[in-house]
Amino acid sequence: MSLPPEPMPPGFARFRARLLVAMMLVVTAVTGAGLWFAQRSAAQDAAREFQREFQDELASLHAVHEERDALLAERGRSLARRPRLVAALEDNALDLLYPSAADELADVMERRPGSAQESAAYGLNARFYRFLDGKGAVIPPVEAKNVGELGPADEARLALRAVPDEPQTGYLWRRLRSGAETVDEVIAMPIVSTEANEAIAAIVLGLKPVEPGGGRAAAIRSGIWTGGRLFLPSLGTPPPAALAEAVARAVGAPEAGEGGFETRVAGTPHLLFWKRLNPGSLYPAAYEVSLYPLAGLTARRIQLAWQFAGAGALLLLAAFGASRIIAVRLSEPVEKLAVDSEEDRARRRRAEASLELTSQELQKSARFSADASHQLKTPLAVLRAGLEELLAREALSAEAREEVSALMHQTFRLTCIIEDLLLLSRMDAGRLQIEFGPVNLTPLVEAWLDDLSARPDAAGVAVESDLPPVVSVEGEERYTRIILENLLENALKYNRPGGRIRIAAAGDGGWTVLSVGNTGSPIPTSSQEHIFERFHRGAVGENIPGYGLGLNLARELARLHRGELRLARSGGDWTEFELRFRSDPAGVAR
Amino acid sequence: MNPLRPSAALLLFALLAAACGAQTIVEGRVALPKPRAAPVMNKRYGIVTEGGILSTYPPTAVVYLAGVFPRPASLPVRQMAQKDLAFFPMLLPVQVGTRVEFPNFDDTYHNIFSYSPAKRFDLGRYLSDERPIPSEVFDVPGLVTLHCEIHEHMRALILVLDTPYFVMTDTDGRYLLSGLPAGKYVLKAWLDSRTTLERPVELIGNSTLEADFP
Repeated sequence: MSLPPEPMPPGFARFRARLLVAMMLVVTAVTGAGLWFAQRSAAQDAAREFQREFQDELASLHAVHEERDALLAERGRSLARRPRLVAALEDNALDLLYPSAADELADVMERRPGSAQESAAYGLNARFYRFLDGKGAVIPPVEAKNVGELGPADEARLALRAVPDEPQTGYLWRRLRSGAETVDEVIAMPIVSTEANEAIAAIVLGLKPVEPGGGRAAAIRSGIWTGGRLFLPSLGTPPPAALAEAVARAVGAPEAGEGGFETRVAGTPHLLFWKRLNPGSLYPAAYEVSLYPLAGLTARRIQLAWQFAGAGALLLLAAFGASRIIAVRLSEPVEKLAVDSEEDRARRRRAEASLELTSQELQKSARFSADASHQLKTPLAVLRAGLEELLAREALSAEAREEVSALMHQTFRLTCIIEDLLLLSRMDAGRLQIEFGPVNLTPLVEAWLDDLSARPDAAGVAVESDLPPVVSVEGEERYTRIILENLLENALKYNRPGGRIRIAAAGDGGWTVLSVGNTGSPIPTSSQEHIFERFHRGAVGENIPGYGLGLNLARELARLHRGELRLARSGGDWTEFELRFRSDPAGVAR
Repeated sequence: MNPLRPSAALLLFALLAAACGAQTIVEGRVALPKPRAAPVMNKRYGIVTEGGILSTYPPTAVVYLAGVFPRPASLPVRQMAQKDLAFFPMLLPVQVGTRVEFPNFDDTYHNIFSYSPAKRFDLGRYLSDERPIPSEVFDVPGLVTLHCEIHEHMRALILVLDTPYFVMTDTDGRYLLSGLPAGKYVLKAWLDSRTTLERPVELIGNSTLEADFP
């Protein structure tokens, strides 16, 4: 890019600065809006990702549950087929129930650590089991040693209103003898008689809840809310009361199956999601509760903000540079335009001023001509009347009479001049309107020729007229006559004695061309371009009567007729003018 | 006069008396529940469970005379066989103290056991060639439900009665108890594990009493 070398006008510099500022503002606004949206969307994505993670974990948890429930259902069915178990139930030999089931359920119970792997592979790692009788009441074991110890109050909470047809999941909060708290996942599996096809009893298994584990399991703290208690061992026992209350409020909402909210745990923001673990169960509702520390999310937000800010700054810098280049590029032609238009304006002002002046002068001169003509006419009339009166006196001598007669003649000339000046001034003022009609030129020429024969100054000049009877053109007769008479008078005036005049007419397309030539000394070349000017008289014609208006008047009138008058040639002994009129279409046809 | 020998004449009389109802007899009909169409899978089993109540299919009843009777020194051994993966008979009434043998006529193992309060026992697994034939003495009156530990569908009932006078009705509910002692007793009809009907009877020697339930 290169700046123009000449100093810029101040207005233009302002324009360029404003353009640059406007572009920068637009760029900043667009970049800012873009960054804001991008960051907001990134933050929302992160929250959504946490939610999805929670849902995925729950889904995998549910998958584990389903697998285990299927296993347990099969176990329930096979138990229902055990004749000893059925016999114990049917024959009310409840003391034999648990021993009868012992073999069948041998693999269900939690083993010693060494062998836990085997049963964990089946998804069964029960801490206890109990049977429910046909009415849903717990059948107490004879000996709790092999079926898992359980306090009487906790045992009673395993009972159901009736034996279920479907497996029921519940969560049992209890305090161990050691004082520690724990939550057991409880599954009540119906034992359906194959004969009667009805649930005759149920087996309830107490399992260690499946720990949700994910990619960020270390950061996520999971717990269970059931029976008005929040069990979240990683937050200590009991967990913060405010948190427990918040969860209770959230899950207490009617028809609420799942949800999430932001909360503060130990002063740091966390995301908490919750979802019912056992929808539709006969056991009290239980909810999975997951806490996600927002520290990671906040750090990520800050990191994102920095990244976006850095990218935005670079982007802005680049955009500003581009803005400047574009502003300069854009303003160059504008500058040129501004300079050019300034010059144009000055030129136009000058032209307008001169035009105004010319117009005023023209108006003034036209008005002067008209005024002068009118002012001259009156004294002239008085003069002529006086002269006529003098001529009428009988006492006048012949000599005086001749003198007065000559003066009389001069008054006629004056009248002619004044008439011409009036006509010209009307034309100059633009007040002369031609009423177009067909005009036959031949009679006009012939009338002038008739007058000529009676004139003494025409002696010795031969006239050759080669006109057809009708030469019809468009025009107004009185003005056409003036043109012709001026032209013919000229041909007569500037002739030499014994010379000749030749008049001819010809058609030229839509034009009628009348040429009038005469013998005599030619117009000098230097004067040829001035002969149509007002008050110009040929240098040769010092002794020739005239006042220098004839040709000018004739040309102006010809032009008003949409025609033209020009000097065809002038050389040797011959000068010829050419007059053009528009042919009257009707006249040509005739 | 026909020179009949008095001993022969006495014998004839005794025979005639026996033939012409010179005994004390109770007969009648027990109104049995209509045999409902049990599930097809249970049709061959003979013992059905309905809401925890065991009964025979088709329905039959056991009619017996309740009272105090001298116990005989020895009682005949009865059999509850396992054939075609089922017990036969499905219902066996026995007098208290009777030994019941459980012969296995199938080609597979059976493991007969009972958790009934009247008699808990478990014979373990055995084949048809098991000798002596596994047996149990039923010395407490009551209903004993038999199961096979291997074949969960197998079910049979042994009704242990404290009387020598009992009989099973036919499927119409008809019964006949003969050789009864005269006197006042209670006549009972066992219908299922929860239903036993009873009515007092006064038996007159060498006569037949008509007694229907109900």
